[in-house]
Amino acid sequence: MIVGHTRGSSFRARQLDEHSRSSWLGRIDPRAKLIGVLCFIAVAALLTKPDLVIAALACSIIFASISKIPLRHIARAYAATLPFILLASVSVFLFTGWENGATMLARTSSCTLPLIVLVSGTETFELFSGLRRLHVPALLTSLLMLAHRYVFLLSDELSRMTVARKARGFSGGKSLLDRYGLRVISNTAGMVLVRASDRADRVFEGLRSRGFDTEMYVWRESRFGRSGVSFVVCFAAASAFLISFQLGVIG
Amino acid sequence: MKILEVKDLSFGYEDGTVALKDLTFSVEQGEKVAIIGPNGAGKSTLLHLLAGFRMPFSGLAVVDGETLADDNAARLRRKLGLLFQDPDDQIFMPTVEEDVAFGPINLKMDDIDGRVARGLKSVGIEHLAKKRPHRLSYGMKKRVALAGIMAMDPKILLLDEPTSGLDPRSRSELVRLLKQMDRTMLIATHDLEAAAEIVDRAIVLNVSLMMRGTMRDLVMAHEDLEKVGLEVPPVSKLFKVLDTMGYAVDSLPVSMDQAVAELTKVIDREGRHVHAHIHEHIHERPNHLPLHAHNHRDKRKSAGK
Repeated sequence: MIVGHTRGSSFRARQLDEHSRSSWLGRIDPRAKLIGVLCFIAVAALLTKPDLVIAALACSIIFASISKIPLRHIARAYAATLPFILLASVSVFLFTGWENGATMLARTSSCTLPLIVLVSGTETFELFSGLRRLHVPALLTSLLMLAHRYVFLLSDELSRMTVARKARGFSGGKSLLDRYGLRVISNTAGMVLVRASDRADRVFEGLRSRGFDTEMYVWRESRFGRSGVSFVVCFAAASAFLISFQLGVIG
Repeated sequence: MKILEVKDLSFGYEDGTVALKDLTFSVEQGEKVAIIGPNGAGKSTLLHLLAGFRMPFSGLAVVDGETLADDNAARLRRKLGLLFQDPDDQIFMPTVEEDVAFGPINLKMDDIDGRVARGLKSVGIEHLAKKRPHRLSYGMKKRVALAGIMAMDPKILLLDEPTSGLDPRSRSELVRLLKQMDRTMLIATHDLEAAAEIVDRAIVLNVSLMMRGTMRDLVMAHEDLEKVGLEVPPVSKLFKVLDTMGYAVDSLPVSMDQAVAELTKVIDREGRHVHAHIHEHIHERPNHLPLHAHNHRDKRKSAGK
């Protein structure tokens, strides 16, 4: 953690955008990625036939595997979402049986995987600017961007406090019965919030001192281009194929 | 022409802490002024107040002929370039060039590409344009933050502790850079050495105004600096000793490096041995004592012979 921690930006923040440059996805216009992936997710969420859900999951896995984003990274991100996916699947399994439960597991996974690939293969700022260019309200995209920046401020402060705590020999708080440890941790949480709030104020003043009002403007806007069109066409075709089978238009 | 004027300025925080009290000073166009003071003296508060981030305050702050108030703070801020103490608080965008472009884009300025290029060039980081700021060293981040300000082409630069947290090399590079910049500057710092190289005059602040004058005046006022809570810089100690020995320190530059370089030149030029028995406890100037240069190199040479 000490090695990974640098002033003002955490190791995790750096990792977040790390794969966008190694993947071919990073070269595609963010609007194309958003349109294609969100269109596919909307269709995948509507599928009810188990074989079609499996087909959607297969498409998601193929997309993930050809994205050139390390599978380990995708697996870790997927594992983080797994509790929510399992919650939905187990509930369905308990009430309607294993087949529906498994279908729910496959359906939610087929929606989650492309999202993970989209987020990993796109720089965070580009993703938000893509949303803005798709006419998502400026207030919302700016809030997303500020929230993204502030989450890492909070994480930075937490890392610093954790290191400071450990450096002074603290190793408690591993048991709910350790009252002293819990007191130290609750004090840390309070301090983290206070310090992060102070820094958040300074960051906001930094933004305002450079003319920021409520909207984030993009300097060099990327073009949709041939790659963007191809991406949208591929995802639209897959989505159309699946929804046609679902609605009985084909087969 | 006065570009910045402060009259009877006072500001207190919500918890009742008085940060600034009855402050009066002005800055001429093109002038470089240092605000010197210990921690908690109100230096940063003053810069943030002038940038319109600390309201309300009593007294008067006039920026480029306009009185600073709630309703015009955002507009007046365009004329000011505030460099934060910690560049991580200021850098926002994913690449250096995008961060430099951030201000001009927000202010809807023209020729963004040109401004970015000039901003990067002004601080000598053209080669870092495509880099990610969070991967840079602290010193380079400071330059990126400064380039972001320069791209906005402000009339006045407000620099909050520009040399803090920098290693000696980065510090001297930044000092050289700021010295070369032809722009009105108000620099909050407790680094007297750096200030001596950059600014024309200084104001010593400790909630209220304690002293004002040229850097030479400050460097020579050892007791006053100590009273304010500032550590006396090495150049000040050197001047004190030389002054005690009867050397005309008025002719020496006020930065340590330059003063030492000048003294070395004098010693070489004089070509004589100088014996300087320097003791800090000498209080009276021994007028009878001439300055003797002790040239060790010559001594070794003669010993070798």
